[in-house]
Amino acid sequence: MKKCKRITKLVVLLMMVLLSAGFAFAGDLDVFKGEKQGLKISGGTAHIPVMEEAAKRIMSFNPDIQITIAGGGSGAGIKQVGEGLVNIGNSGRKATDEEIAKYGLVTHMWAIDGVSAVVSPKNKVKSLTKEQLQNIYSGKITQWKDLGGEDRAINMYTRDETSGTREVFWEKGLNKGDISGKANVVASNGAMKSAVANDPYAVGYMSVGYLDESVAPVTLEGVIPSIATVKSGEYKVSRGLYSNTKGEATGIVKKFIDYLSSAEGKKIVVEKGFIPAE
Amino acid sequence: MTKSFPDRLLSLFSWICAMFLISSVSIILGFLILKGYKAVNLELIFSDVRPLDALLLRQRVFGGLLPAMTGTVFLIVLSMALAVPLGLASGIFLSEYASSKIKWIFSLTFDILSGIPSIVVGLFGFSITVFLHHYFNERIFPCLLISALSLSFLVLPYIIRTTQISLESLPLSLRLTAPALGATKRQNIFFVLLPSSLSGIISGIVLAMGRCAEDTAVIMLTGAVATAGIPKSIFSGFEALPFYIYYMAAEYSHPSELRKAYGAALLLLIICSALFIFSYWIKNTLKTKHFTGHNSL
Amino acid sequence: MDFQDRFFRSLFLGASALSALVTVAVLCFMVLLCLPVLKLDFIRHVLTAPWSPGQGQFGILPMMAGTICIAFLSLVISFPISLGCSFFIEILKPKGKGNLLKKLVQFMTAIPTVIYGFVGVFLLVPFIREIFAYGSGMCILSASLMLGLLISPTLILFFSQSFSRVPQSYLNAVDALGGTTWQKLYHVILPHAWKGMLTGIVLAFGRAMGDTLIALMISGNAVVMPSSLLDSARTLTAHIALIFAADFDSMEFKILFISGIVLYMMTSLGILFTRGLDRKGPA
Repeated sequence: MKKCKRITKLVVLLMMVLLSAGFAFAGDLDVFKGEKQGLKISGGTAHIPVMEEAAKRIMSFNPDIQITIAGGGSGAGIKQVGEGLVNIGNSGRKATDEEIAKYGLVTHMWAIDGVSAVVSPKNKVKSLTKEQLQNIYSGKITQWKDLGGEDRAINMYTRDETSGTREVFWEKGLNKGDISGKANVVASNGAMKSAVANDPYAVGYMSVGYLDESVAPVTLEGVIPSIATVKSGEYKVSRGLYSNTKGEATGIVKKFIDYLSSAEGKKIVVEKGFIPAE
Repeated sequence: MTKSFPDRLLSLFSWICAMFLISSVSIILGFLILKGYKAVNLELIFSDVRPLDALLLRQRVFGGLLPAMTGTVFLIVLSMALAVPLGLASGIFLSEYASSKIKWIFSLTFDILSGIPSIVVGLFGFSITVFLHHYFNERIFPCLLISALSLSFLVLPYIIRTTQISLESLPLSLRLTAPALGATKRQNIFFVLLPSSLSGIISGIVLAMGRCAEDTAVIMLTGAVATAGIPKSIFSGFEALPFYIYYMAAEYSHPSELRKAYGAALLLLIICSALFIFSYWIKNTLKTKHFTGHNSL
Repeated sequence: MDFQDRFFRSLFLGASALSALVTVAVLCFMVLLCLPVLKLDFIRHVLTAPWSPGQGQFGILPMMAGTICIAFLSLVISFPISLGCSFFIEILKPKGKGNLLKKLVQFMTAIPTVIYGFVGVFLLVPFIREIFAYGSGMCILSASLMLGLLISPTLILFFSQSFSRVPQSYLNAVDALGGTTWQKLYHVILPHAWKGMLTGIVLAFGRAMGDTLIALMISGNAVVMPSSLLDSARTLTAHIALIFAADFDSMEFKILFISGIVLYMMTSLGILFTRGLDRKGPA
């Protein structure tokens, strides 16, 4: 009877492993065998789909591990890991030298991503110059009409100051131009996508990995933002996705970060729309 | 009797307002029910895992609401465990022991506590955590316990107030009988007054449970996260139903996720309504019993 | 008093003191944590400057304005409707329907705020955007409409309670003199009930100011001084929810507590005000 149970358990476990790992190598998960520790992750919101998928696979493989994932933005990720409130703090920008020195951070880049301006698919305006984009965000251009679109006001969406996506977009997309205070503020890449998808007169910006048919990427200076153009270097508003730890990662934290760069981890990264870092 | 013109106007105005309120509430509830009812099924809660396996923790649930629901249940139980003893004792003190001056001061502080916005209470819980983490123990993080503690601060004034009012509204005859027979004050409180006011107190506690189930602002600052699974200890982060709804309203990446959010919203509404109706029922059924008891005295 | 009685008395007293301590602790803790920056110049800066951390500006004025605007407008929307509903419940009392409305209002107190926010995002916001053909629909008006609904139970329950406390004999006297309902209301009920009504209004205003979710989800959260009803705005509560990060030393972190203190003060003042009303009132 007991043996029977054990066998069923084994079969269930095996099935779970097979199911969760799909056709990838189950071997990459082996390192998590026997781990019992919890893992807390927070910060960059572009990272979340990859984090969730990795966590799901790891927790299915070894149910003793508990991984919690929260958003908050890159700034929060860096600060929380620096304070020791989480084990891994994600950021969509490289931590500044000041932050690295202050908290003793070690950064791990595991994917390359871009930041794309986005509009609703219903919008006729799907191509802008950098100057136009700057003028929109500084509040100089306020009507879609002036850009060849409908006779409606432009609804700007932006992220709060702690966002790495905002930082990168502001630096490389707007050349550090102003972002007007009139812009609506949303809290994450996911929220940006649903806000722009629901508002036909919106303009926003978000991680290229998040692009899907519900929003339309804005061609910037003739280059359409996509994984391909980011990879080739044609689309310039690009960035790395980082996971930061306080000091060198050890134990399960190290295993998790290594997993992101393993064969299976890279597969997840690609699946979620990013480019695995070499 | 013919009505004067201002009377008619008044009556028309009242009817319009009543209809307006009723239709607004109906629109909100109807919208939610219409969009959500298809999503409310076992799959919403357990995803593709067999319910029994999920409940026995044999298999983890991803993409279902089970982790969020257990998180909410844990929150309710924990915060009640913290708030009820304190609230009951304070309520008894106010009603039975305090002089009018002390009563005035205490109830003023409790009123202020009940007026504090929940996000400020959450901020308080969060800052305590960070403070303790910084100066006492590196292993203190925002977690289920901190959230429950903060929530208990939030509902404490409700419980104090209902306890106090239930005790104070007891008829004088009931209040005096036991002492006249030689009972001490303590005996009077524990064997006569508290049992007789139980209906009011319990219905107040049930309402407070509803408040714990629905509050989002407190938990989003003190440990609620997007993904955690079923909480394994009270010292870990957790998922909760209202936070899930808030999170998904902005973060959904696929219509199927949005459908789940509608389902979750409907589920939370059902839970809160059930608690409300339960509280109402307790208040009414138990109260009548008490009154007949009183009449026969 | 025997020993046991005394023991329980001190136990209950201790519990009350502990509960009261929570109230004080919330304020003290927030003050303590932003004490280092609590200098007159800085307070003036925070209360008057715009919010732009990148440029070293940490003012919360736009958020305070947003909070007041949204809370006030929600009160303006909710007040007449609540007044009408309480007439309906306490004065008109059409056969049984008055009680039914009262039950519905009581039920409304059990509806989670996140649900108002959720329905706001998917029903009200697109509606406002289309009907006014302006802006994103995430605006002061949307948030105020939903908040108005949220606070109406508070108003209605306080109003009807105050109406029902007017002595029946006064009302009978008006009837005996052949007075109309309008006269009854204007000359007897309102003069008697205004204090209770004012208490309800103050508490409802506090409730509207203190709510986080509705404003956070549907007011748009822009950090500018609001200039039109269809503009996006940010409340203090939403501000706390949006910028809370854990850098203990950062200025933003301290601003969180200043926002918290402002909210605490505003709601407490409201409570003190209602207390003042209560004391002077006829018990």
